[in-house]
Amino acid sequence: MHVVPVPAFLDDRSLDAFAAQLPAWPPEGRVLVDAHATEWSSPAGFTALLTLGQALAEVAAPKPRLTLPGADGVASYWAKAGFLQHADTLFELHGKVPRRRADGASETLLDVTPIRESKDVHEIVGRINERSTQILKRELDLEASVVGGFGQSLSETCQNITEHAGTGGWVAVHVYNFRRRLGRKAVVIAVSDAGIGFRRSLEATQAKRFGDRWGDGLAIETALIHNISRFRDPGRGQGLAGTKRYLARWQGKISIRSGTARVCIPPAWDDEPPMSEGLAWFPGSQVTIVIPAREASP
Amino acid sequence: MSAVIRLERLLHETVATPYSDLVTRPTGAAVRQRVLEALQEAAGDEAQLDFSAVGLVDFSCADEVVAKLLNQLALLPIIRLRLRGLREDHAEAIEHALRCHGLAVVALLADSPRPRLLGRVPDDWRDAFAVLADLGRAPAPPVAAALAWPLPRALDALGALAERRCVLAHPDDTFELGAVA
Repeated sequence: MHVVPVPAFLDDRSLDAFAAQLPAWPPEGRVLVDAHATEWSSPAGFTALLTLGQALAEVAAPKPRLTLPGADGVASYWAKAGFLQHADTLFELHGKVPRRRADGASETLLDVTPIRESKDVHEIVGRINERSTQILKRELDLEASVVGGFGQSLSETCQNITEHAGTGGWVAVHVYNFRRRLGRKAVVIAVSDAGIGFRRSLEATQAKRFGDRWGDGLAIETALIHNISRFRDPGRGQGLAGTKRYLARWQGKISIRSGTARVCIPPAWDDEPPMSEGLAWFPGSQVTIVIPAREASP
Repeated sequence: MSAVIRLERLLHETVATPYSDLVTRPTGAAVRQRVLEALQEAAGDEAQLDFSAVGLVDFSCADEVVAKLLNQLALLPIIRLRLRGLREDHAEAIEHALRCHGLAVVALLADSPRPRLLGRVPDDWRDAFAVLADLGRAPAPPVAAALAWPLPRALDALGALAERRCVLAHPDDTFELGAVA
């Protein structure tokens, strides 16, 4: 049994430390994901954990175990966010499994939700629209036009799975307080899949241009910065381009992790380097979008 | 005559969804196919794509429904294609898609009676279009005069707009926006 400890605070950045504990892939023995000491997870953490479970299932590894957080209220929150109902299908859960309350968490705009085909994207966008409009206006003081762009970004990010991943994935959307980094609330869209990743998706059309330099970082950069997709149609690759334009206007952030690299477009309030390479490998691709609340007038 | 094509109706005829959002490429491609069928029925007329009951439009669907349709405009049996009933976020998604293809279209937003050009539109075209909106049917000289341009510049801009069917060019060398409501 290979034990993979989950960081105390699991988000898109601390996922690197989590990935570094994974065994060689595919694992020979059973994996135990130990979240006993975990105190909090962002939506990016939830979707990444499910991606790991899915990836293990897809390589026919033995069903992994997941030890639930021991701290009061943490596992309940994981249940309310919709994580545990899906984790239950991919992991053997250990620890006290709380019942999920019907009310859901107030900061959850969208529970952890699977994405397999384009009709799932319709359902996600349609379901979230009314609720998100109210919450984004009330909690984040965002205007109606910002809310429309939010839905477009969500739709495009989810479609990356159905169009490019070659397998299913997960999405979750939460609003929470970015106290340290931003000093105000933000809405976070996390989308993760267990698919082929950016490098393999773009390899056939792009790798030759870069020769030996071709890798995960360049592949993400090609898609995110240069708006290039594996399709030659000029309209392709524009979903990410439109999302970037929207985020730039509202000081939002997008970061994409795939394989061993992460590329982001950091706004002024964030200190993440634009490209991180040589990270520990993690299956598939993870996209995180942050849209901050409007800054309070002085 | 102007045929009005209500996109939310075509969406519901095409995809089994309770929502009215134009999202995803497969949906956009399927809706475009239905629009093409509807345009065959409107042969010889102007046509308007009506977005007034559409929820969200994402960039991919804007590309599939509007940009790819405009790319085929020369092959379509209609005189012109216009958009109406758009919200600001619809207009942004469509504008983004059209820019990628170097296309332009006339649109009427839900909250304004003034027609607007969306897409890759040089400033000269935009200025000439705005003046023509005020003048109604007019030849190039008054447009040039209103903008304090030499006549060839106005002719170039109006000609380019007419080529893209954003304005009508009449045999008597006048131009007009035509009905947009």
